[in-house]
Amino acid sequence: MDWLSFTIYPVYLMIFMCIYGCLAIGLNIQWGYAGLFNAGLAGFFAVGAYTSAILTTSEAAGRLGGFDLPFPFGLAGAMIVSGLIAWPVGKICLRFRSDYLAIVTIGVAEAIRLVAKTEDWLTNSARGITGVPRPLGDLPYAQAQLAYLAIVGLILIVVYLLIERQAHAPWGRMMRAIRDNERAAVAMGKNVPVRRLEAFMLGSALMGLAGGLYVHLARTITPDAIDPMLVTFLVWIMVILGGSGNNRGVLLGAVIVWIIWSASEIVTDQLPAEFALKAKYGRMFLIGLLLQIVLRFRPEGLLPEKLRRAPLSEGALSPTGHGARIQAPHKEI
Amino acid sequence: MKLKSLGLAAWLLGTCALATPALAQVNIGLLAGITGGAAAMAPEIIKSYEFAVKQVNDQGGILNGQKLVGNVADSGCKPQVAADAATKLVNVSRVIGIAGPMCSGALLAAANSATIPAGVLLISPAATSPEITTLKDNDLVFRTVPSDEYQGQALARTLLSRGTQTVAVSFINNDYGKGIAAAFKKEFEAKGGKITAFAGHEESKSSYRSDLAELAKGGADTLVLLDYGDTSGLTILREAIENGFFKNFVGAEGMKTSAPIKAFGAENLSTFIASAPIPAKSQALDIFNAAFSKAGGDVNGSYVAPSFDAVFLLALAIEKAGGDKTKLPQSLRAVTSGKGEPIMPGEWKKAKELIAAGKEIDYKGASGSVNFDERGDVPGSYGLFKVSGSDYEVITEMK
Repeated sequence: MDWLSFTIYPVYLMIFMCIYGCLAIGLNIQWGYAGLFNAGLAGFFAVGAYTSAILTTSEAAGRLGGFDLPFPFGLAGAMIVSGLIAWPVGKICLRFRSDYLAIVTIGVAEAIRLVAKTEDWLTNSARGITGVPRPLGDLPYAQAQLAYLAIVGLILIVVYLLIERQAHAPWGRMMRAIRDNERAAVAMGKNVPVRRLEAFMLGSALMGLAGGLYVHLARTITPDAIDPMLVTFLVWIMVILGGSGNNRGVLLGAVIVWIIWSASEIVTDQLPAEFALKAKYGRMFLIGLLLQIVLRFRPEGLLPEKLRRAPLSEGALSPTGHGARIQAPHKEI
Repeated sequence: MKLKSLGLAAWLLGTCALATPALAQVNIGLLAGITGGAAAMAPEIIKSYEFAVKQVNDQGGILNGQKLVGNVADSGCKPQVAADAATKLVNVSRVIGIAGPMCSGALLAAANSATIPAGVLLISPAATSPEITTLKDNDLVFRTVPSDEYQGQALARTLLSRGTQTVAVSFINNDYGKGIAAAFKKEFEAKGGKITAFAGHEESKSSYRSDLAELAKGGADTLVLLDYGDTSGLTILREAIENGFFKNFVGAEGMKTSAPIKAFGAENLSTFIASAPIPAKSQALDIFNAAFSKAGGDVNGSYVAPSFDAVFLLALAIEKAGGDKTKLPQSLRAVTSGKGEPIMPGEWKKAKELIAAGKEIDYKGASGSVNFDERGDVPGSYGLFKVSGSDYEVITEMK
């Protein structure tokens, strides 16, 4: 029995990697495939988390709820609502060029956070929602963690396979074509705004899914969980570090960044007390440093996007179409 | 690629092995928001935690002379960070009890995802959200700081008994303001008072005139302002006085700062009263203050007394339970039952001897009596203050 309890922390680490994996794949669809700079991940994550929490909890005084739906409905609701919220946002904002889109999405995420913090009837405002059920959560501690890892892992595998399939289908090629040369795609008769909106909504739905998975793990959601640093920027680092445009790459990024973020504390705690306290701030620095090194020496990420080269003269094109984009955002109309 | 993941796995295993504790020690977790929104309070709180640990170790250690080891971890004042830190404390550092975390959202996540499933006792010195009271915690979550609920209720009762029947309520929109305002509203209306307007406001706006105009529409001449006196509370108070929106002002502990007196002068604040926890002038608090300041701590730091109590109570409960994790909650209740030989802060040796002799003990906390109710909360003691000269003066104690 005791050996099982030693697995709890690694299992917990992996659960978070899977949740971040969902977020990273969602962002990869938006940035990696469609070239959309979404800096408001935390907002869509929060919408998913709150939706699933509201749908699956029992009646509570003073806020919307009491639906008591089972866990899969919560997750489905999280994806649908996040996707639907992405629709007007995308409809309005996708006309902006990439850096403007980033600013607008930051604003949207902040608006969502304020709504969650203020609207009593919807989210119980600052006090948040507690008592969210976890599937198989009544098992003993270690078994419950393993069971949840199995669920989250399975969901991540399904998401990965479906998105991989989608990326290799004509849809994926078309998205990359739009990303790399919008005018050429228009000339080929592709409906660029609609396709972009599709990618934006699909990515946001996956972010909502990640929010749903998180809320059933933590069994509680408060507005302070909608943290741009922990949700938005950490995921961006995962995607850039791992290699945007490659789902396997972003998953690797999620694994590496989360290990550095969480497990590094175990190592720094071995230091003398005064350094150990300072080291808690050091993890942010460590991750920033890693990002700098990757951008300097391997801007395409650890596992770069695999591009099939067209048999054209290569000198005219940028050699790694994707990596170059990180340093200099591509020009659009 | 394979090599890389192998390396990662080896590193992970290595760190786990490193962190496996030696035997002749008792591990407890000390969670504090070292980074994040409440980081300013953390250094003194950690000092207070470690001061309690040191007192236990200096006076013979815990159980059979074992060393009590406090593992400091960062709860970041964020749910995700706190849950992660608590999981590490419980499963890697193998702690049997945790003091902290400081923020309510952090506590809810840490308790739900780590300490309650693992059966680890958690005592928070600073999380005040009423939501924690209703947590399904198998009697594993306690706090040495009163819930905001109590202050709101006490304030409502005191106002009614002073003859104020009609008020408007304005609160800062965070878990502090919201919690205390909701408790106030419930109690005030239940006891027959009338609330003409009830609205939250965001912090650090440059002007609140429109909010105030809206609040004043109901015709109440008393404004209950649940905010911080150094920031937006000060702005609201100034605009309300200048424009005569309200005649009387009532605040809670957040408003009881020196800033309004400095800004407006005592002569303009004759109709301003504020409630605040009275650190129940006790012998226990004097003993703690003297010892803590001698050890280099700041006795005026926020939540230092409840932090000390949390760790000291944890140690007493472990001693009483003989180190048995499953008996910790009942042992904690046994050492704070109000019956038995009183134990002052820092009297570890005396407590240890009495427990060994099988006698009842009752810990007198530096922060108050710490006699927990059935939900693991402590009732606070509050006073109502008015401005007098350049400081505040107690008018009455609040029941």
